[in-house]
Amino acid sequence: MKLALVRLTSIKAIAVALALAGCSNNPYPAGDRARKILYSSFSEAPKTLDPAVAYTTASHIVTGNVYDTLLEYHFLKRPYELMPALAESVPSAVPHPDGGVSYLFKIRDGILFHADPCFQLSQGDGRSRKVTAADFAFELARLADPTVNSPLAGSFAQVQGFAPFAERLAAMRQADPTFAALPAHEQYQRAGGIAGVIVRNERELEIVLSEAKPQMLYFFAMPFTTPVPWEAVAYYNGQRGREHFADHPVGTGPYRLAVYEKQYRMQLERNETWYGSQAGMPAAPGATFPREIDQQDIVSKQVDGDYAGRRLPFLDRINFVREREDIPRFNKFLQGYYDEGHIIKESFDAVVQNDALSPQMAARGMRLDKTVEPSIFYIGFNMDDPVVGTAAGERGRKLRQAMSLVIDAKAYLELFLNGRGVLAQTPLPPGIFGYDQTYKNPFRQLDLARAQKLLAEAGYRNGLDARTGAPLKLSFDTPNTTAQALLQYQFYVSAWRQLGLDVEINASTYNQFQAKVRRGAYQLFTWGWIADFPDPENFFFLLECGNAQSKSGGPNTANFCNGAFDRLYHEMKSLPNDVRRQGLIKSMLALTEQERPWIELFHNEEYALSHAWVINSKPMGLSYPTYKYMDVDPELRSRLQSEWNVPVRWPLYLALLAIVAVTIPAVRTFYRERQ
Amino acid sequence: MAAYLIRRTIYGLFTVLGVLLLLFVLFFAVTDPDDIARKAVGERARPEVYALWKKNHGYDRPLLLNRAYAAADSRRYSDTLLFDHYRRMLTFDFGNSDADDSAIARRLKEGMGPSLSLTVPLFALGLVVSVLLALFVAFFRETYIDRAVLVLCMLTMSIASLLYIIGGQYLIGMLLKWFPISGFAFDPYLAGRFLALPVLVGVVAGIGADVRLYRTIFVEESNRDYVRTARAKGCGEARVMLAHVLRNALIPILSNIVITIPFLFTGALLLESFFGIPGLGSLTVEAIQGNDFSTLRTMVYLGALLFIAGQILTDVSYALADPRVRLT
Repeated sequence: MKLALVRLTSIKAIAVALALAGCSNNPYPAGDRARKILYSSFSEAPKTLDPAVAYTTASHIVTGNVYDTLLEYHFLKRPYELMPALAESVPSAVPHPDGGVSYLFKIRDGILFHADPCFQLSQGDGRSRKVTAADFAFELARLADPTVNSPLAGSFAQVQGFAPFAERLAAMRQADPTFAALPAHEQYQRAGGIAGVIVRNERELEIVLSEAKPQMLYFFAMPFTTPVPWEAVAYYNGQRGREHFADHPVGTGPYRLAVYEKQYRMQLERNETWYGSQAGMPAAPGATFPREIDQQDIVSKQVDGDYAGRRLPFLDRINFVREREDIPRFNKFLQGYYDEGHIIKESFDAVVQNDALSPQMAARGMRLDKTVEPSIFYIGFNMDDPVVGTAAGERGRKLRQAMSLVIDAKAYLELFLNGRGVLAQTPLPPGIFGYDQTYKNPFRQLDLARAQKLLAEAGYRNGLDARTGAPLKLSFDTPNTTAQALLQYQFYVSAWRQLGLDVEINASTYNQFQAKVRRGAYQLFTWGWIADFPDPENFFFLLECGNAQSKSGGPNTANFCNGAFDRLYHEMKSLPNDVRRQGLIKSMLALTEQERPWIELFHNEEYALSHAWVINSKPMGLSYPTYKYMDVDPELRSRLQSEWNVPVRWPLYLALLAIVAVTIPAVRTFYRERQ
Repeated sequence: MAAYLIRRTIYGLFTVLGVLLLLFVLFFAVTDPDDIARKAVGERARPEVYALWKKNHGYDRPLLLNRAYAAADSRRYSDTLLFDHYRRMLTFDFGNSDADDSAIARRLKEGMGPSLSLTVPLFALGLVVSVLLALFVAFFRETYIDRAVLVLCMLTMSIASLLYIIGGQYLIGMLLKWFPISGFAFDPYLAGRFLALPVLVGVVAGIGADVRLYRTIFVEESNRDYVRTARAKGCGEARVMLAHVLRNALIPILSNIVITIPFLFTGALLLESFFGIPGLGSLTVEAIQGNDFSTLRTMVYLGALLFIAGQILTDVSYALADPRVRLT
């Protein structure tokens, strides 16, 4: 028995040692090492890949690569600038006598959809077909279709006949079940289509708007307006073992979705028939690496100057692996198994020191790319409230100004966001027309003495309400009940306590909060906004009276209604980015500065990491994938991965030795005692 | 035994109906359908989009009584959330996910393989290691080995399982670089590489309680008269432990094992989530985090069914293993 036990232990030890000797922590097949594959991760599985509905970053990493758009943002230029993609040029607005405008898109020739079995519905051979203007019109009709449920349908209200088409469609479906059972494209045809979406011929699409809206062009740079083949929607209907269209995109983009197991992985493969890759196709802006490269981008290694003018794309495959948890994702990035990564809170100080990469990370050749999102986070006042709102007149204004003067957004960023953010002086973030880096909002500078003076002038000396003799009591409503959120709200409350104000946090569920907002039963709240498109209108509309929550249920939760502001807004929103528009924006900002419907806090800043072998990692800022501009050096990656991941085996041998060392004396002692 | 099984199955059916009622109260009566719609279509959608989503997913119907129909019309009761909930669950027509509209039955089918590829080796290896270690400790009872293992067991039981996972990933995946930190593959060679670490972590995390339990059973068993008789007859220690003690001690161990088997199908919540295994455990975690109530209802319901099945199986296995047990 003694001998048998010792032998067994030794055999086990050797077996484990041998098994581990062949181990590796590389999660990818060895055959892929030399290939131009970008390895990335995602945490949330996309809910849908239907371009008419998909509205999240998780979806956009697929839809943004699989679906092309008529227009695109220039990869490198800031402020953001539109350039043609599937369209031959960026169209100009043609004014109509009735006050409307129209845009004529000329579509490039020779654009093909990804090869897909759905085309057997029209082509017989089931391969692919050319994109025509009707495919764009079909997608626009889908945006209007109430059953598609597009979250952006409201943004197309200015397209002539958009809403009437939706109403007609719904009515016809209700009246005639046979009509409702027809494929979507037939229904749209029979319903007469959208009056303002005119297919002039195979390569010309005219969009007619009932009023001028220059921002409309931005929507043609979003996958919402991509060409969609009617065949894909009709074929992928979830019947007869076929997938749903929401899980099977058929686009024209530089990549096609080769693997979609969204709970686990997604793979995009280079589309060999992409218009940019086809031999003989003229170089197009959307298919060529920009030639105008900022020297700073080259110095910071965000862009490699040698790529100027080269045909896109460079990667053969983009491999996304699902990582639900931050810690393993970050650790795999550190091992070199993900090419790009985000910094987790727990490791922030180890990765970033003095607002730059720590020496250890820099020594590994890593890069830190910072981007300010087109966003604004703010504290809002309910301007309908009799104490803090418009009805309180000068008292209310001074109270808001005083409260604004004591909020230290810099300290907030340091405490809760590792300093990731740019202090906001106005609603406009950097990169948006009208943003002025030199402007300092006089009510966003910390000044306790001035705040106390203003509060006294408002009739609340030392924060005391003269009518009651008690501190002025205010309510700070939040739809977030987590401990972390409450701590963050406490930060603001403590700041106002310096003024003697008694601000009470009222945490409730999102629905309860929404109900309060609908009833107007709130005074203070915090909110954030990330722009859909890079235009000042997409920020100022949050303060326009027509969008006030109390009037229309719109996104102006502060219920700010100011006639002068609205007049400026309506003039500004239909102007191009010129001096006149700049002047109007300045006047609008001057109004918000004094009126203080918001206490502007910060613009969110994204910190992204990439390894030395990743080329052209410059981030876009908008929710806009830039993979077609990116490249990797697989040789360098493979070499560094091998250097960084040599298995450490001695602890295993030590542990096995310890087990043997403990067991043998035990066995000997036991038998000696027994005998 | 047949009568017993029928009776237990009928009891089980009533339990299932009760579970379904509780689920209904929790997921329909307490939860606001607006919450579910908001999670599904996003917070920036307009109210009419929420309304349409609720209509498409049947959440716009009344809970118990549909007053849109006349009193004599059976649809007054059948076109309600309660009736539909019972009908769907009892016919295993789980419908679509509230989060992304994917068919829940397909998600279950897809997730079962990865879950089983983790839980079966974890279960088997955990069982073998804990029984062997318990036997070993029982063999050396009252020695420093016994005491050292007991202290270690108490230590392993006192540490939160999340710490094992994060610690295991950091130590074995990050520092020692033996296995990938996380991931999954359907290719058997790669799958083995991915599953080694979660299985190892799962075995270590669960070993303490099992070894303590089995050791107690083995020690108790080795003090019985028949063991003394075997020794008196000159039977060797190895034979005493393996042939006599282990065999008789298996009966109480069986109850601990059989009830676990059905839950192998539902996966391991934390392990799957942290190691990126696309199984039913991570499906459940995701459903909880994403307010995917239709998936969550299904998982809770299946959990209840499997628990009832596990209890019946345990009773049957007792009767099969121990001739003294009669199921009447």
